[in-house]
Amino acid sequence: MIWVETIINGVLYGGLYGLLGVGLALAVGVMRVVNLSHGEFIVLSAFLGVSLVRVVPWLHPLALLLPVAVIAFCLGFGLQAVLINRVVTRPDPFAGILLTFGVAVVMRNLMVEIYGADPRHLQAGHLAQASAGFGGLHVGVLPLLILALSVALFTALQLVLTRTRFGRIVRATADHRDVVRLMGVNPGRVYNLVMGLSLALASVAGMLLAIRASFTPYSGVERLLVAFEVVVLGGLGTFWGAMLGGITLGVAELVGLRLDPNAGPLYAHLLFLVGVLLRPNGLFRART
Amino acid sequence: MTLLEVQALDAFYGDFQALFGVTLRVEAGETVALIGANGAGKTTFLKCLVGLIGSRRGEIRFAGEPIAAAPAERISRLGLSLVPEGRLLFPSLTVEENLMMGGLSRRPGAWSLARVYELFPVLGERRRQWPDQLSGGQQHMVAIGRALMSNPKLLLCDEISLGLAPLVVDQIYESLGHIRAEGASIVLVEQDVKRAAGAADRVYCLLKGRVTLHGQARGLGLEQLSRAYFGT
Repeated sequence: MIWVETIINGVLYGGLYGLLGVGLALAVGVMRVVNLSHGEFIVLSAFLGVSLVRVVPWLHPLALLLPVAVIAFCLGFGLQAVLINRVVTRPDPFAGILLTFGVAVVMRNLMVEIYGADPRHLQAGHLAQASAGFGGLHVGVLPLLILALSVALFTALQLVLTRTRFGRIVRATADHRDVVRLMGVNPGRVYNLVMGLSLALASVAGMLLAIRASFTPYSGVERLLVAFEVVVLGGLGTFWGAMLGGITLGVAELVGLRLDPNAGPLYAHLLFLVGVLLRPNGLFRART
Repeated sequence: MTLLEVQALDAFYGDFQALFGVTLRVEAGETVALIGANGAGKTTFLKCLVGLIGSRRGEIRFAGEPIAAAPAERISRLGLSLVPEGRLLFPSLTVEENLMMGGLSRRPGAWSLARVYELFPVLGERRRQWPDQLSGGQQHMVAIGRALMSNPKLLLCDEISLGLAPLVVDQIYESLGHIRAEGASIVLVEQDVKRAAGAADRVYCLLKGRVTLHGQARGLGLEQLSRAYFGT
C-alpha cells in the first residue's frame, strides 16, 4: 500500500516538475533560445510570492498565483524585448546562451542583495497537511490540487497553441520567422509574448514548489536542471512530453527517497541519465 | 497607371553586390515576366521588393508610396504579396491554417478561403491535412492561395513551375488567368523562357544582376532573348 501511495504522490509531484519544464520547452520550440535564466525566474517568482504574502497576509498564497504570473509575464516580455531579441536572429546559438547566463548571474546576486541568503518557504496553512483518503490510500490535498492545476495549464496552453489565431501565428513564426513577416507579423513581438508566457508558467511552478520545499537565491540552478531534464526526457519542443517527463522524474524521486531517505533527487537524475542513453530523442516523441 | 516603379536598385549580401541599377516598372493589371539564368538576381530582386533584404539602395515606389526603406511587415499590408521560391509553407500548420496566415492583414478584396477553394478545389478537400502530405503541385497551390488571401494588388511569383510535371504547370498557369481577371498584377519569375513569355505582357531579362533586355513579350526574337539570357 505504501508503494502505491508513493507512486501516486510521485505522479502528483511530477505534474509540478512538468510545469517547471514546459516554459523552457516553449521558448526552445518557438525561438530556439535556451533560456539559462529560467531557474532564476522560477526562484524570483517564489520570492515575489513571499513579498506579496507580507503585503496581504490575509490572502492564501494560492490566491497570489495570478498576480505573480502577471508580473512574471511582464518580466519575460521585457527581457525578450530589451535583451534577447537582439541576439535571437544570429545564426550562432551561443549568443543567446551566453546572454541568458549573464542574466542568471546578475539576477542571482540581486536576489541575495535584496532578500539575503537564508532559506525561505511559502506557508500554505493547514492545506499543506490536509489529506484525502480513497479506500485506505492517503493522498495529500495540496499535491492533488497542484496536479489538477498543472493539467489545466497544460491543456490551456495546448488549446491556445492549436486553436487560436495567436497560436497559429506562434507556430508559423516557429516554422519560418522570415515568411511570417510577409503576412504582416513582426516576429520580435511574437517572441516577446512567448517569453512572457514561458515565464508566467515558470512562475506558477516556482510558487507551488516554494510551498513544498524551501529555496534560497541559489536554488535557480537546481530548478533549471530539473526543467532541462523534463524537457529532454519528454522530447524537445513537445508539451505533453514535458508533462510525462515531469511525472517520470517525480515518481523516480519519491520512490528513490522511499528506498534511501538520504538520496535526494539522485534517483531522478539517474533515471534521466538512463533515459537519455536509451532514447536520446526523448521518451515521448510525438508529432507537433 | 504605374503600380510598381523601381529606379536604379542596388542590393547587397554583405560585401557582395547582387543587383546593379535595376530599373523596372509594372502597370496596373499587367503581367510582367522576369527571366534569367540561375544566380542572375531574380529572387534577390523579389526579396528586395517585399523588404526581406535590408541592404538595398535605390528607389522603389509601390502604389505611389516609397517602400525602399520600409520593413517587410509594413510592405505586406500595402498589397504586395510573394509566393516564395520553394513555397516555404508552414509545416506545423494545416493547409487551411496556412491559408489563414495569408489573410492576417485583412485587406478587403475578392479573395477569401471560399474563393481560394473554388480556384483550387483539391485544397478544399485536403484542408485539414499537413502540407507535407500534399503533392508538390498542391503545395504550390497552397503557397499561391496563401499569397492571394491578402488580396494583393501585385502578386510576385518565384519559380512556381519548378520541379512540377508539365500537366500540373499548365494547371497553375491557368489559375494565373483567374487571378488576373480579379484585377491583380503579376510579376512572374521563371527559368522557362517560352512559358514566361507566353503568359506575360512584357518581359525583363536579368544577367548577373543587370537588366539586359526588356520589351513587349510578343515581339521578342529568340536570338535577341538568348543573347540577353546568356550574355553572348
